[in-house]
Amino acid sequence: MELIGSFISAALLALFLQNAIYERALGINILLYASRRRQDVIGFTLGLCYITTLSSAAVWCLDYFFGDYKHYYLIVPVLYILTVGIIYMASLLVLWRYFHDLFKKIRKFVHLTVFNCAVLGALFLNAQLGEGILGYIGYGLGTALGFAVAGFLLYIAYERLNAELVPASFRGMPIMIIYVGIVSMALHAFAGYVT
Amino acid sequence: MSNNNKTTKKSGLFDGLSRQNIVLMSGIAIAPVAVVANNFHNSAALALGFTIIALLGVTACRFIPKKIVYTVRVIIYALIAGLAVIPAYLALRHFYGMEMVENLGVYLPLMAVNPLILTKTETRFSLRPPHLMLVELLGYIMGFNIVCVAVGTTRDVLVNRQIGAIHFDVGFEVPALSSTFGGLIIIGIAAGAFRQQYNMRKARKIRKAEKERLRRKMIEEL
Repeated sequence: MELIGSFISAALLALFLQNAIYERALGINILLYASRRRQDVIGFTLGLCYITTLSSAAVWCLDYFFGDYKHYYLIVPVLYILTVGIIYMASLLVLWRYFHDLFKKIRKFVHLTVFNCAVLGALFLNAQLGEGILGYIGYGLGTALGFAVAGFLLYIAYERLNAELVPASFRGMPIMIIYVGIVSMALHAFAGYVT
Repeated sequence: MSNNNKTTKKSGLFDGLSRQNIVLMSGIAIAPVAVVANNFHNSAALALGFTIIALLGVTACRFIPKKIVYTVRVIIYALIAGLAVIPAYLALRHFYGMEMVENLGVYLPLMAVNPLILTKTETRFSLRPPHLMLVELLGYIMGFNIVCVAVGTTRDVLVNRQIGAIHFDVGFEVPALSSTFGGLIIIGIAAGAFRQQYNMRKARKIRKAEKERLRRKMIEEL
């Protein structure tokens, strides 16, 4: 029961209070790219869900067994990237072997879903915040769902943000970043802000 | 030929600084600047870390054979950049102390998966001869560093009323600008202003070139 509690609280923490985009701006460049089309938001979210959940479980094993090593923090980036890389390769091999059409569809942008700040950031934050394997998995899943919330909020505003009323220089990336900043400010207001 | 080479080098350097600035124009390195560059010292440390990771990472990735399929190559790129994080950690610990490494938190190792290393190496740097690649890379790094330090300094002034260790009174303070949303809003406004300046300059250049063309045409006719 305690383990399920840590899973749910880690997922909720990552989804709302420590939303990858609004609290830490992790993967914001991918979000700007993905929010143009609804299919992209869904596709990227599914990809993130898959990779962060699996990688979180694998990373928990690494942290559990090697976490006490004195210079562990120096090799953590390489270990985490290697973990994500192995899962990425294995998944692509399975897709290529059994779901060839899907593989063809996603192969052009699948690396963007896997090697980005949201995935690696979730793994690094797991090490700081996650408790137990379910806590790690919960945080990974919550990060991906947090990305989905941010992606959907940006997607529904996309047309307005790129309308002609917006000055030409601000259309596109600048106004979208300001919009994300304002939504982030609103979320801060919910969570409570201390200067 | 040498004149043409000079022009390419110059345009390569300025590309990363302005037209393809990775924070203000393409937006591929927004997160660390928005979150960590909240004062002068942090932004300077971040710039140093980024310089080491990007320089070592891209230069080493440039030599990965193209025979290897991109699916595998992208993992190798990320691993090499992950290794480049180690000297960055050590340099930051040497120059700023362990506290700064902790201040930068996850954003320093996250530089390893920056699209500048994973994507631009593939689409841009590996297509150039090594000397030109280095010039272009320096342009990109300088572009990031200038924006990073500028954002950090602005936030230091508006939040702490200081730049580094120099205190001065600006008459007001905006503590919220040190938060993530403050960083995002500042970068958004800076990106818009930068684009406007860039577009105006570009339009002026086009007008000037058109004027010059007409003048030459008139002289030829006369």
